[in-house]
Amino acid sequence: MKGAELVIKLLEQKGVEHIFGYPGGAIMPIYDALYQSKVKHYLCRHEQGGAFSAIGYARSSGKVGVCMATSGPGATNLITSLADALLDSVPLVAITGQVSQAVMGTDAFQEVDVLGLSLAVTKHSFMVTDVTELEHTLNEAFELAMSGRPGPVLVDIPKDVQLAEVQFKPRLVEDADTAQQEFLPTVALEQARLLIQNAKRPIAYIGGGVHMADAVSQLQDFLAQSPMPSVTTLKAMGTVPPSNPYYLGMLGMHGTQAANLAVQQCDLLICLGARFDDRVTGKLAAFAPDAKVIHIDIDPAELHKLRHAECAMLGDLRQLLPAMSVPTHCEDWLKHCLSMKQQHGWRYDHPGERIFAPLMLKQLSERMPDNAVVCCDVGQHQMWVAQHMSFSHPRNHLSSGGLGTMGFGLPAAIGAQLARPKDTVLAVSGDGSFMMNVQELGTIKRFRLPVKIVIVDNQRLGMVKQWQELFFNERYSETDLSDNPDFVSLAAAFAIPGHSISRKDEVLPALEAMFTWPGPYLLHVRIDETDNVWPLVPPGAANQDMLTEKAQ
Amino acid sequence: MSTANHVLTIQTKNQPVVLERLLQVTRYRGFEVAGMEMKPMADFSGLLVTLSIVSDKPISLLTNQLNKLYDIEYLDCVESQQTQAEAGSMRA
Ligand SMILES: Cc1ncc(C[n+]2csc(CCOP(=O)(O)OP(=O)(O)O)c2C)c(N)n1
Ligand SMILES: [Mg+2]
Repeated sequence: MKGAELVIKLLEQKGVEHIFGYPGGAIMPIYDALYQSKVKHYLCRHEQGGAFSAIGYARSSGKVGVCMATSGPGATNLITSLADALLDSVPLVAITGQVSQAVMGTDAFQEVDVLGLSLAVTKHSFMVTDVTELEHTLNEAFELAMSGRPGPVLVDIPKDVQLAEVQFKPRLVEDADTAQQEFLPTVALEQARLLIQNAKRPIAYIGGGVHMADAVSQLQDFLAQSPMPSVTTLKAMGTVPPSNPYYLGMLGMHGTQAANLAVQQCDLLICLGARFDDRVTGKLAAFAPDAKVIHIDIDPAELHKLRHAECAMLGDLRQLLPAMSVPTHCEDWLKHCLSMKQQHGWRYDHPGERIFAPLMLKQLSERMPDNAVVCCDVGQHQMWVAQHMSFSHPRNHLSSGGLGTMGFGLPAAIGAQLARPKDTVLAVSGDGSFMMNVQELGTIKRFRLPVKIVIVDNQRLGMVKQWQELFFNERYSETDLSDNPDFVSLAAAFAIPGHSISRKDEVLPALEAMFTWPGPYLLHVRIDETDNVWPLVPPGAANQDMLTEKAQ
Repeated sequence: MSTANHVLTIQTKNQPVVLERLLQVTRYRGFEVAGMEMKPMADFSGLLVTLSIVSDKPISLLTNQLNKLYDIEYLDCVESQQTQAEAGSMRA
C-alpha cells in the first residue's frame, strides 16, 4: 500500500474514530485514502477551528485528539491551536502534508518550514523522510501525546512519502497497559505525611494534572481522609465536588476571596498537578508567604521552577495521593475557612431589569442537564462562567487556560459534542470571541450538531475594556464592538434558530426554550457594557489585595 | 558576554533538527550560550554536543527542560569551577 493509506489504516487500528481537518495539495494522497474509510472526518472551516475541535474532543473525553492540515497555510493555521494544547497539556496529534522532498528547501508552492515553526508550540514534532519510518513515527506520536505530561505532537509528511509504497500488516491493538507499579519515593512521602499531620493551616491547591492523571477519585479520597480546605485552578474546576463544604473555589486573579485569602494564610500548601502560573499566584514573592510547600507533578521541570518546595515528588498522583493520606489536625482552620466562605459568598441581588451575567450563568448552571459540557471563550464571560457555574467533573468545563485563546469555545464545543453525543454541550462565548471562529457554524450546520450557543454580548472586548477602565485612565482604545452583527440572523444563515434577550425576566423562559429545542440553538444575551468581573487582583499585587466592586 | 559557568555534555539522536531544539530551549528559558561544539558519534548513531552556558539562575531550570526533549539520550552538567570527578550525571 501507499504511505497515505498506511496513515489511515494506522488511525483505524488505533481506534481513532473522529478526526478534524481541511484538505489541500500536499495532503491530497491522505485525503484520498480517507475516502470511504472507517475513520470519520469532520471538515472544519478553518484549520485553527479544526484543531480546537480536536482539543475539545480530547479534553471532554480523555482520548487523543487528531487533526490534519495541508502544507503551508494549512499548517500555519494550526499553530495557535498547537500552542493552546501545549500550554494546557492536551494530548493532540496533528498530521500535516508537506511538499515533496525533491523540492523541499526551494521555496516551493505552499512550502513553509513547519518542523521549524512547530518547535516552540509542540511537545515534540517529527518529519518523516522515509516511508519505512512512517508507522513507527505515528505510533511514537500517539504515545508521546498521551504519556507523562500530555501535549501536542506534530507529524509532517512530505507528499513523496505519502505516495511511496510500503508494507503494512494491520495488528491487533495491543492494549498497552503501562500501569506498572512505580517505585514510590518513601522518604519524601514520609516527610509529606509529617508535614500534613503537623500543619495547623493546610490547603490543597489543585491543578489540571489531577484529572489528567485520572486521579479525581484518589483526590476526593485524599480530601476525605485528610480533611483540609481546597482551591482549584481554572483547569481543575470540577475536580472537587461543589458539595464539599471546604472547597473554596478558584484561586488567582479572578478567584474567590475565600480561596485567595485562605491560600495567603495557610502554613502548608499542597500543590497537586499545578504549576504556580502567574494568573494564579499574583505577586509570586508574596504568594502563600507563610507556607511550606509539598509539590507533586509528573513533569520534573515544574518542580522548584517558580516556587521552592520543601517536599517535591515526581510521579503518578494515583499512587502518591493514597500514600500521602493521614489525619489532619486543623479543626479551627476548617471553621475559619468556612466562615470566610460564608462571609465572602457571591451576591446576585443586582438592581434593575437588565440581565446580570453572573446570575444568568448561575441559572444556566442550575438548569443545564447533569453532565453537560460547557466550553468557554476568553474574557469576562469566561471568568463569570468559572465563578458562577458548577461542574461535576473537569471534563465538563473546557476553557482555554494557559494561552487564553479567543475563538476556542465554539470549535471546542463541536469536538466535545462528537466525543460525547449523549451529553448536552454548551458554548458560552463573548461577542468578540465568537467572531474569531464563527465560520465553524458551518460545521455545526453540516453535521447538525445540537450545540447550544450562549453569547454574552456587552458590545465590547470587555476584559480589555475593564483593564482600560481600571489601569489606563479610561482610554478605551479599540474595544468598542457596538456595531456587532445581528447574531440571531447570523445563526439563521446557518439554519440555527436563536433568540435574543435583554431583560432579567426573559432569562428563565429563554433557557427553557433553548434546552427543549432538539438541535443547535443560539441564545443572544445582551448585558450592560459597564459590568465588570470582581474580585480582581491587580497586576503586580499580592492575592490578598483584591479589588472588589464595593471598593470602586 | 561573561564567561561560562556550566558545561553541558549532551548526547542526542541523529536528527537534523536537534541543534535547533537545543538552542531554542536554551534561549527561551533565558540562558546564554558562550560556546558550542558538535560532532557525530563514531558510529553515526547520534550526535555529541557540548554547550557552554552562562547564567546566574539555577542550571537545573535548563537541564530539567532539556532532559525532557525526546531527542536527548544523555545529559551531563558540570560546573566550570568544579572538577570532572565531583559532578554527577544529571540524567534521571
Ligand atoms: C486570540 C486573542 N486575541 C486577543 C486576546 C486578548 N483579549 C483577552 S479577553 C479579550 C476580549 C474578549 O472579548 P469578548 O469575547 O467579547 O469577551 P468579554 O470580555 O467581553 O466577555 C481580548 C481581546 C486574546 N485573549 N486572544
Ligand atoms: Mg464582549
